[in-house]
Amino acid sequence: MKTFASLFSLHSLAQIVVAWEGASGLEFLGYFGGVFEPIAFMLLIGGTIGGLILGATPGLSPTMAVALLIPFTFQLTPTQGLILLGAAYTSTVAGGAVSAILLKIPGAPANIATALDGNAMAVKGEGARALHLSFLSSGIGGVIGVLLLIFLTPVLAKWALAFGPSHLFWIAILGVTVIGSLDSKSFVKGLLSGCIGLWLSTIGYDDIQGAERFIFFDALEGGIHIIPALIGLFAIPQVMEMLAKGRNQTLIEQIDVPPHAFSDSAREIGKSGKALTIGTVIGSIVGLIPGVGGQIAGLVAYDQSRKMSKTPEKFGTGHAEGVIAAESANNAMVGPSLVPLLTLSIPGSPTAAVLLGGLLIHGIFPGSDIFTKHPEVVWTFINSMLLGQILMVVFGIATAAYAAKIARAPVPIMAAGVTVLAVFGAYSVQQSMGDVHIMFALGVGMYVLQKFGFSAAPLVLGLILGPLAGDYFVNGSMIAAAQDGPWVYFFTGALNIVLIMLVLASVAYSFWSNMLQGRSAPEQLKSEAAE
Amino acid sequence: MKHILTTALLSAAMLASPALAEGYPDRPIGVGVSYGAGGATDFQARIVTMTAGNEDALGQPMYIINKPGAGGRKGWNWFATEAEADGYMTSAYNVPHFIAQSIKGGVKYSVDSFEPIANWGADPAVVIVGKDSEFNSVGDMITFAKANPGKVTTSGAGLFVGHHIAALQIERACECKLAYIPTKGGGAAAMKAVIAGETMAGINNLSDAYRAAQAGNVKILGVADLERNAEFLPDVPTLKEAGLDVDNASVNFRGLMVPKGTPQDVIDKLAAAVPAMFQNKRVMGRMKAGGSPMKVMSREEVQKMWAARQESLKELLAGL
Amino acid sequence: MTSSRAQHVVPAGVVLALAILVAWLSFTQEPADSFLFPRIISVFFVALAIWNFARAALGMAKVGGGIDMGTAGRIFPGLIIMSVTVFWAAKALGFYVACTLAFFLIFSLYDPAPHSQLGSWLRRIVVTVAFMAVIYALFAMLLQVQTPRGIFL
Repeated sequence: MKTFASLFSLHSLAQIVVAWEGASGLEFLGYFGGVFEPIAFMLLIGGTIGGLILGATPGLSPTMAVALLIPFTFQLTPTQGLILLGAAYTSTVAGGAVSAILLKIPGAPANIATALDGNAMAVKGEGARALHLSFLSSGIGGVIGVLLLIFLTPVLAKWALAFGPSHLFWIAILGVTVIGSLDSKSFVKGLLSGCIGLWLSTIGYDDIQGAERFIFFDALEGGIHIIPALIGLFAIPQVMEMLAKGRNQTLIEQIDVPPHAFSDSAREIGKSGKALTIGTVIGSIVGLIPGVGGQIAGLVAYDQSRKMSKTPEKFGTGHAEGVIAAESANNAMVGPSLVPLLTLSIPGSPTAAVLLGGLLIHGIFPGSDIFTKHPEVVWTFINSMLLGQILMVVFGIATAAYAAKIARAPVPIMAAGVTVLAVFGAYSVQQSMGDVHIMFALGVGMYVLQKFGFSAAPLVLGLILGPLAGDYFVNGSMIAAAQDGPWVYFFTGALNIVLIMLVLASVAYSFWSNMLQGRSAPEQLKSEAAE
Repeated sequence: MKHILTTALLSAAMLASPALAEGYPDRPIGVGVSYGAGGATDFQARIVTMTAGNEDALGQPMYIINKPGAGGRKGWNWFATEAEADGYMTSAYNVPHFIAQSIKGGVKYSVDSFEPIANWGADPAVVIVGKDSEFNSVGDMITFAKANPGKVTTSGAGLFVGHHIAALQIERACECKLAYIPTKGGGAAAMKAVIAGETMAGINNLSDAYRAAQAGNVKILGVADLERNAEFLPDVPTLKEAGLDVDNASVNFRGLMVPKGTPQDVIDKLAAAVPAMFQNKRVMGRMKAGGSPMKVMSREEVQKMWAARQESLKELLAGL
Repeated sequence: MTSSRAQHVVPAGVVLALAILVAWLSFTQEPADSFLFPRIISVFFVALAIWNFARAALGMAKVGGGIDMGTAGRIFPGLIIMSVTVFWAAKALGFYVACTLAFFLIFSLYDPAPHSQLGSWLRRIVVTVAFMAVIYALFAMLLQVQTPRGIFL
């Protein structure tokens, strides 16, 4: 609480000024040379391309992808190793959008929101456009995120520490309140989907106490891992929709779509300032909060951008703004998510934890003095993320036209291919057959639920937020019990109160917009009939 | 026709069944890690197995599978019940974690479910406080705890892990009450709780605390081990020196094990090759650079250590 | 539209039954500490499920078109192939064999090209082999994922 207040104090203003004027201000420019050394630059390119491929592979989250690359860095100098990891981190996050758009398999929780509109665009034949927009907005969000990391690290570090268990609990609740309005045509079914997700997240061993919960059969013992769940909930219903077309009808949809010019996409991005701003701002803020991180950045930005849009009904039908908001958010979070890691040695996300390992094996201990002790390593690392973003955009755009053809593959091939990818992807996360079973069962269940108006996005949000809300609640309650009790702990202090107000505002907004929708219901029915 | 097919299938199945140690290993070997990617166990496991593919080690690479959840229970349950005992799946162990959990119950493993191969590291638990804390010694903290029972919030990586064991031992030794807070997100989150002032104190790994102290974020008050750590923290007293009767039961030993039922010749082969692999110069160098204390122990030594821990933890946890 | 109402009542009833089961389990199982959060969730879960069921029963549930017999019939063969692959073949035959078969069968069953021509079968085989080669290169060679080996491979 006191740290929160100090953010607005003169003291922190002074710090911003110091950060701007001090040695760290434009110091990073001096270390750009390191990135352009032959080996370093090859690693940068290799890391970017490799990251895109790994990110696009179903079942490989950015965390796993970076962890897989760590052994390669053993052979390299610290600077080279970090160039590889930095480039790979940024491009795996963006690569996840590729499978989200083309196959409706989100590579990681960060890309869920991208799948909602991106895949609809690809199915319509606008895959190249969706990929262009996704890479451009990733690049823009990502560069701004890294610039925040460069210029505001000292201030942001305090901000990251300001969030204790009670605040993280309220943030998770804030996420839960988003559930009702996220991608659902029916308010009550949206909330209900969220509840199912929250319940699914409690299956398995309770993380803190270690007690068994709802373990109906052995495969559930480890709980429901988010990545196989994502694959099942999004990819399997998609496959079943394709199968539902039957043998003779699968021919129909082959409309020829003219190639999409990059210049059109660039112009479109230029006009999408609002979605970009929402995505980047939300991504940067959420990225900073340790423990919540990038998982929900995309979804929150998507939801906000829909709420502020003049045409909210277009979201979910292949609306470009949805892709732009989601992708700018999930890459904007990359830079700020490293602030607590670099300044305090606290990894704010699982991927940051893996990067910490990458630093440690080279004997580099992050901490407030890392910028003075190892400036060449840190700045080269940050610069590689900056350049990595740009290279990622270049490679992504260059291959988009070819990649987009995947989404236009004949329906039977697509159905068979996504099935196989889903099985491999779900298995490779933890090399567990149980995960494949869970993936498939969730997918079939989700298909049936979808047919009756439930939707996957709120369910997945529940699945992600359940453990956060639950564990921070238990954690906070334990601390509260040793202090002044839960009331004081959860409901007092500036940051708690601000967050509670946001929760209330979000709930009120959901009800209000639900009532508005109720009034325009006849119109909605018409659009469904058309569907 | 059908008969021929069945015979063919059967013989193929027999070919695929665990071969003897003759050709072992002829494909990569898995290492289950019961904690998430980026955690200390994962990080160290990746380093110590990096030379497995060398001809003088195992001749086949080792790959890591993370199965995090419920303080390690999920991964070890899987390892005890599902992993094939053919030598191609090993797992990292954390003592006292898995032994304490099996004594507490509700899991599908015990010390008898696994066969140790070798130990690579020993990371003692240390008592830490934030850099601005009023506590400057373990004595200060205990005095406060005695005056304010249950008020000293102390973060740690979970229940029935090394940190928790250390907290229990401290409570028993000082005859006072702490408020042990198991944080979600393991040691890193427990460290953050201390740095951010969410808890008054914390128990954490020596390696992580050493780095946090180097960065000026925390103060290290005491080490829960039999002797001081000469390499990293020569000036920090042991809890025993500070007047608390706490031994090394909470020291986090990390090593490799295989499931019970793995052929004896495979175990022998691993037990012979793995300790040398841990002592590889490059491995030692990387571990030292990362601030991870190493302690290579042979299979026999680990068996003794497990048995000793089983006894002492049974006694410690009996009252709970 | 009574059939539509019946279509919505059944799933709403199933969800309600699930909610009640979850609530019952949450409030009866021990330790209470571990079930505190599930209890809170289940209260909302049951309340929403009742609301949803009421809407369905009153014929107010309109979102979602349900599943008709024709759709179910068309999905069925593919779903059987997928189930057999996931729950049996992947482990018993090995990942690559099972997935090659699954890909080939799903593709062939739903391919509009005539079954009577040799050409369409050749195409199916070529596409299957090419796709599985990519999968093998990606997962087995690049990522070195160890998949269940089954009886072959």
